[in-house]
Amino acid sequence: MNVLIGLITGMISGATPILLAALGGTFTFYAGVFNIAMEGMMLMAAFFAVLGSFFFHSWVIGLAFGVLGSLTLALIFILFSVKLETDEFVTGIALNLFALGITTYFLRQIFKVKGVFTSKSIVPVPQLHIPFIEKIPFVGPVLSGRNLIVYIAVIATVFCYYLIFKTRFGLRLRAAGYNADSLDSSGVRTSRIRMQALLLCALFCGLGGAFLSLGYVTLFAENMTAGRGWISLAAIILVDGHPYGIAAISLLFGFFDGLGLFLQNYGVASQFTAMIPYIATLFALYVYAQRRREKKRKRV
Amino acid sequence: MKRRLWSGLVGVVVALAVGALIMLAQGYKPLSTYVALFQFSLGGIGPFTTTLKNSVPLVLTGLSAAVAFASGPVNLGQPGQFVFGALAATLGGLYIRLPAVLEIPLLLLLAIAGGALWSSIAAFLRRAFEMSEFIVTLMLNMIADFFTAWVIAFPLMDRKAFSPMTPQIAKSGWMPDLGLLSSSTLVMLGAVVLVWFVFHRWRAGYEWRMTGQNSVFARLGGCDIHRNFLAVMLVTGALAGLAGGLVVMAGPHRFIKGLGANYAWDGIMIAIMANNSIVGTLVYGVFIAAIQTGALGMELITNVPSEIAQVLQAVLVLIIVATREYTNVLLDRLSARRQAKERAA
Repeated sequence: MNVLIGLITGMISGATPILLAALGGTFTFYAGVFNIAMEGMMLMAAFFAVLGSFFFHSWVIGLAFGVLGSLTLALIFILFSVKLETDEFVTGIALNLFALGITTYFLRQIFKVKGVFTSKSIVPVPQLHIPFIEKIPFVGPVLSGRNLIVYIAVIATVFCYYLIFKTRFGLRLRAAGYNADSLDSSGVRTSRIRMQALLLCALFCGLGGAFLSLGYVTLFAENMTAGRGWISLAAIILVDGHPYGIAAISLLFGFFDGLGLFLQNYGVASQFTAMIPYIATLFALYVYAQRRREKKRKRV
Repeated sequence: MKRRLWSGLVGVVVALAVGALIMLAQGYKPLSTYVALFQFSLGGIGPFTTTLKNSVPLVLTGLSAAVAFASGPVNLGQPGQFVFGALAATLGGLYIRLPAVLEIPLLLLLAIAGGALWSSIAAFLRRAFEMSEFIVTLMLNMIADFFTAWVIAFPLMDRKAFSPMTPQIAKSGWMPDLGLLSSSTLVMLGAVVLVWFVFHRWRAGYEWRMTGQNSVFARLGGCDIHRNFLAVMLVTGALAGLAGGLVVMAGPHRFIKGLGANYAWDGIMIAIMANNSIVGTLVYGVFIAAIQTGALGMELITNVPSEIAQVLQAVLVLIIVATREYTNVLLDRLSARRQAKERAA
């Protein structure tokens, strides 16, 4: 029983950062921005969340700093890709490397360490204990006592669905990706919608990154996002950007993430268990490609 | 050609100025920092040959990315292909002992095969299942990273070492130094010439470039685009693998933890800066290598952490590419305005 609860809670913590980053990515996905900077946005957030939490001894300021860190990256993205019309792919790759460089540099410059920074002064984001539900056997320990950001992520999923499919902003957002010219000619500036999409993306990636360094673990390690931004991009592509689909896919990846940690207890080399989420992504891409092929065949 | 040179130069100057601002903001002296940086990388024969040696993995992975991007495939698998090339060369060096004349070419071939093997997986998945190589190669990078980490921590681990690494490869497989020049530099230059020749003078290279610019046109013109895709993936994987092999054979002579570092990603950035041109990749590769090499010396005498090199590189890419593309936007606008004026008159 405890093993099962452990697996499920492991799945939830593994899924949260991917879910948040992917939700952020849906905005740019629908707005027609080829945004691959989620990895860098999360990394910036993870670093600045630790920075804020360490110096101000408050997780609230940590979260705020994390989000500001990833917003900064989004502003640079906007400056280059929207204002200066630089290729989005190039901007994304350069910004990911910029995030890696600047966080490594600051890690050395501010905290005087290489590799990993950990300290008792970093205040993690608290866990939320829900009264009553907490007491229910089995369901209680799963639903209650999760990190605050996990609950935010659940609410965010519904919020994103509502925002994208039920509001005027969402309609314009989708129009920006679907037919930018007709949106422009109807009097809405596509470039402004894309900027808003990028800022929203940064907000969610910021929460996801802050969860990594103040929730999942309480430390900052060089390149600690470890490809999660790319996995979230795969998740978006796999379900064509639907928020609920993303939630399902994220849970699946979270499961494999947790499974990896679990298998380590049984003597499987950690290097192999760490591969599992990436192999799972490959498999998911395979299924996606087959489904798309089927569709194409039917159309012909 | 002239326009490219100018926009590149402007980009470099602006990027260095932005780097100077970052340093100023932290209370460092930018001018003396830059002087130290380039003194340790370009100031004299010794530093320059070191820079050239350090540019080998950057230029070769850059070539790999440039050829791939210019021909269509979005091969972002250089990091994985790099470590597999390095692993293949290490394996050969550990178990095969031949005189140096045979050992060195053999290990280089093994490195090439290792890189091509890893990229062929992505090529196969694309061909058989229509899986886009973009995310597949990224995922394969992570898998290759963990796999090699396992290999050097368990089956091939040097029992005498304190951190994961393999024993040293056979001495006959070490890249010899020719005076100050490392022979790996010569291999790199050879590869650059060969790739340039294939890309610009051979039919295969012409077909690849056509496919990259317009795959429909290439197919209607009679190119076998599937075969070309496979060929490009194999060639680019081989180039990245060769980079990995050379790093092992010229550097630590063994596979150590973190061997790949950021070489391959730097190579991808270099290709982007060079706008996928072969000669440009060589030039920018040496330039980036100069910054990285100089950064270590700079840290010794100016207190500026060498990690600034990574930041500077990303700023360079962004600004060089933005300058290039924005110059084009501006020029287009100017000519549009001129045309409008002519119409009006």
